[in-house]
Amino acid sequence: MTAPPSEARRVSVGIGQLAISRDPKEVLVAYGLGSCIGISCYDPQSRVSGLAHVLLPSSDGKRVEDREPARFADTGIDLLLRRLAEAGASPRRLIVKVAGGAAVLGPANAEKFKIGERNAEAIRERLKHHGIAPAATDVGGAKGRTLEVHVGTGKTFVRTAASPANEL
Amino acid sequence: MAQEALVQMLTLVARDGAVRAGRGLSGLMGQQISIHVPNVRIGTKADACDAVGGEENLVLGAYLSISGDITGHVMLLFPVARALECVDLMCGQAPGTTVEPDELAQSAVGELGNIVGSAFVNALADDLNLILHPSPPTIIHDMAIALVQSVYAEVLSQGGDVVMMDAVFEDEKGRTAGLLIVAPDPTSVERLMKVAA
Repeated sequence: MTAPPSEARRVSVGIGQLAISRDPKEVLVAYGLGSCIGISCYDPQSRVSGLAHVLLPSSDGKRVEDREPARFADTGIDLLLRRLAEAGASPRRLIVKVAGGAAVLGPANAEKFKIGERNAEAIRERLKHHGIAPAATDVGGAKGRTLEVHVGTGKTFVRTAASPANEL
Repeated sequence: MAQEALVQMLTLVARDGAVRAGRGLSGLMGQQISIHVPNVRIGTKADACDAVGGEENLVLGAYLSISGDITGHVMLLFPVARALECVDLMCGQAPGTTVEPDELAQSAVGELGNIVGSAFVNALADDLNLILHPSPPTIIHDMAIALVQSVYAEVLSQGGDVVMMDAVFEDEKGRTAGLLIVAPDPTSVERLMKVAA
């Protein structure tokens, strides 16, 4: 089943934002991830879900601005896990899924900054630092993705401009 | 204050660039294309994709990088249906002839990106006395925000903030023909600030 319940409320999680929810009617969505990466989390026991929309790999010690708390992979993941714990989720039970990190501006550009690739690597490392291995990933390639997590079931779906939603 | 002077200077340049780009587009399509007064914005703005139908809307367009005295990014984006209409106008075909972004359509959109992007880059070069080279266009076909966000990321990964000039084009019927985005890299913004001062 790919469609959320008809009364579902879609909560857009924009660039550098994160959201935590226990409302089974909510669907947390990161629209159009290009080189950005979405990290979805679900604790099946407490039924808490979280989604972070990361833009860049490293804060390099820079202060994180309040308006984009999840801009960077390192500080963004730390904050996501902290907020999940505050909402009652256990890091040991979390089912973590990761999608995005594409090179959408063409092959010539892809070689220059490799932001998507670096984002994926930074997220893998930071999750490992917290003792978490993602249950599923869909990263890289050349197409943008939309990632959504259905809070009621914890199911995560990815779609691209060319393909319908597939469960991750 | 330096930022204010920069925005003022870039607004003038963006107007010149938009006039030149609009002239190029009008000539190509055989109809008058008008240009909204371009915006110069600082920061990652959530409404950047509104002109092309919203964040998740599928767009077809071209991406060029700028090299030379300053470096940066140029993107021309159209909602797909509008891009295909532009292709028909360019090829002298009845609107609706092109129904998918095939090889010919992609090549025509690349040419559009070339002409509009170069017009804007040349305005920057002429008005600010810089030597600039636009790259050949790369065809881009994806969700609007995925493309805009990837430019944000490239600029922000170098430090500094995003300074973005964007201009919306409209056809004779007042429908959006496209969105042009120009974003210099942060080291280039510093250089532009010196020019503005």
